[in-house]
Amino acid sequence: MMIKYIFYFLAFVSVFSALMVVVSKNPVHCVLYLIMCFFSIAGHYVLLNAQFLAAVHVIVYAGAIMVLFLFVIMLLNLNTQSEPHKSTWLKFAAAITSGLLLVILVGTLKGSETMVMPVGNPNAGLIKNLGNTLFKDFLLPFEVSSILFLVAMVGAVMLGKKEIK
Amino acid sequence: MKSLILLSGLGVLTLLSEIFNFKRKIFPVVLLGLLGTIVLSAMYWNTNKHYFNDMMFFDNYAVAFTCLISFIAFAWFLLSQNYFNEETNLTDHFALILFALVGAVIMVSYQNMSMLFLGIETLSLSLYVLAGSRKNDLHSNEAALKYFLMGAFATGFLLFGIALIYGVTGSFNLQTIANYITLNSGNIPALFYTGVLLMMVGMAFKISAAPFHFWAPDVYQGSPLVITAFMATIVKTAAFAAFFRLFFTCFSTIESVWGNIIFVMAILTLAVGNITATYQESVKRMLAYSSIAHAGYMLLAILAMNKFSAGSILFYTAAYSVASITAFTVLSIIINKSNNEAIDAFNGLGKRNPFLAFAMTVAMLSLAGIPPMAGFFGKYYLFNAALQSGQTTIVLVAVLASLVGVYYYFKAIIAMYFKSGSDSSPVEVSFIHKLLLVLTLVLIFAMGLMSDFVIRLL
Repeated sequence: MMIKYIFYFLAFVSVFSALMVVVSKNPVHCVLYLIMCFFSIAGHYVLLNAQFLAAVHVIVYAGAIMVLFLFVIMLLNLNTQSEPHKSTWLKFAAAITSGLLLVILVGTLKGSETMVMPVGNPNAGLIKNLGNTLFKDFLLPFEVSSILFLVAMVGAVMLGKKEIK
Repeated sequence: MKSLILLSGLGVLTLLSEIFNFKRKIFPVVLLGLLGTIVLSAMYWNTNKHYFNDMMFFDNYAVAFTCLISFIAFAWFLLSQNYFNEETNLTDHFALILFALVGAVIMVSYQNMSMLFLGIETLSLSLYVLAGSRKNDLHSNEAALKYFLMGAFATGFLLFGIALIYGVTGSFNLQTIANYITLNSGNIPALFYTGVLLMMVGMAFKISAAPFHFWAPDVYQGSPLVITAFMATIVKTAAFAAFFRLFFTCFSTIESVWGNIIFVMAILTLAVGNITATYQESVKRMLAYSSIAHAGYMLLAILAMNKFSAGSILFYTAAYSVASITAFTVLSIIINKSNNEAIDAFNGLGKRNPFLAFAMTVAMLSLAGIPPMAGFFGKYYLFNAALQSGQTTIVLVAVLASLVGVYYYFKAIIAMYFKSGSDSSPVEVSFIHKLLLVLTLVLIFAMGLMSDFVIRLL
């Protein structure tokens, strides 16, 4: 029973903070709300027995990436309302399309109440089990992701290098 | 699998060549490596091997597309040889291209959605950087940023779709998902269908099908020419092969859900691509719209979804890529000469360099689908596959669209032979480019004459 209330609380916080990210005018506030959103999502992970994922999520997203975000915003000095004005038509079209997407997603979720999965192994999200899955079943994707990161690094270096003429 | 390892090794080797200073020798090594990739993957013909807990499955489809992609990459390196002589970041470019090829090979041979995602990301991430590799050119910067933002957005859709499908089936494996569909037909929750549609949106973005094509013209025009050639050929081939593999193995039994959407998408893509291409002044942008239009033709194979589809899609992508490489080679020579990518730059090319003009003519005719070039047979087999599944309407639309296509492809031909330009000095062609053009021209004709052989492969 307790878990249910925690879930509703976390769900409220994450939806609210996600909405505030979009709505608030000040970019720094946006980032702070985003951090709040990430924390509440980490809470959801814990509820779903994914403890390791929750910890990584907090460290990587709320920690590293958001700090980077804040730095960029401060360096760009975006804290004034320098947002370019968007045309009414664009807003109208965006509202309609995202509204339709919302309707579809709500509709699909409504039909799937019956297929609630039973809670699995409570230790599934611990590092040992995760490591076993990662290095047995998903060994190749794990190794291939190293190429992905190598690409990101080479790309960053290439863009950062001085052009020699 | 061996070809994948070889490609990754080549990529790392090019990075090492920067440190150990054998930069000048890396070009022939890469070419040899690509030939090696073709041989290595061709050796696995008819073996149907599964790798690493069914993460990858090298069936004939995967082998054929790996060979095709490696071959186009080989031609692409010949095309871009000049470009890299001037550029400074040679090794970085080579490494990114090779890693993009790794992504492409994964995309044609995956059997697990996690591999699909990694393949797409490896390919796209390299291209985001390469699109912006002209750091001082504002258009190049714009192209990179646009491509990156839109690409990240589309990947979000793809991941959301994968997550929903995993939520229903409990598996990333294509075969398991296909089995789930046959076992539970009529009893599948709506969540699954939403997942399928979201994945479709993600893939449609990657192949730049309308209405998800808005990024393509700007990105194609802003990027350096050789990178545009890479995007129009290899990326398109890999993305399409991945799209088809996903839908053919997994979702072919639930065509009623996505069939109509692809149908509308195909018509839109054909119309938008062909009609917008007619009033482009820049040849580069015209080729960008033509590549959108060709995505429309290729969607026919997905609509057909029968035993002819795989072969026709292989043939079409091969014919399209070879012709595009030819066109881009000629275009790059022209741009090098006159620094002008408008259609006027081709004026009088028939007199200035008859060979170049002939190559461009053949490429344009093949893209337009005039017999006996490969492009005609590509279209023929695609339309045939669609007709076998009773898709008459879409074939009619496609035929009409290709008539519009003839108009803008002929604009370049008319400029070359019937208009005289201000500049009438002859155009020099380097030996490597000559070799490449002869190779592709022979291929365009040979594929047209031996189309039956290629189509029977799959």
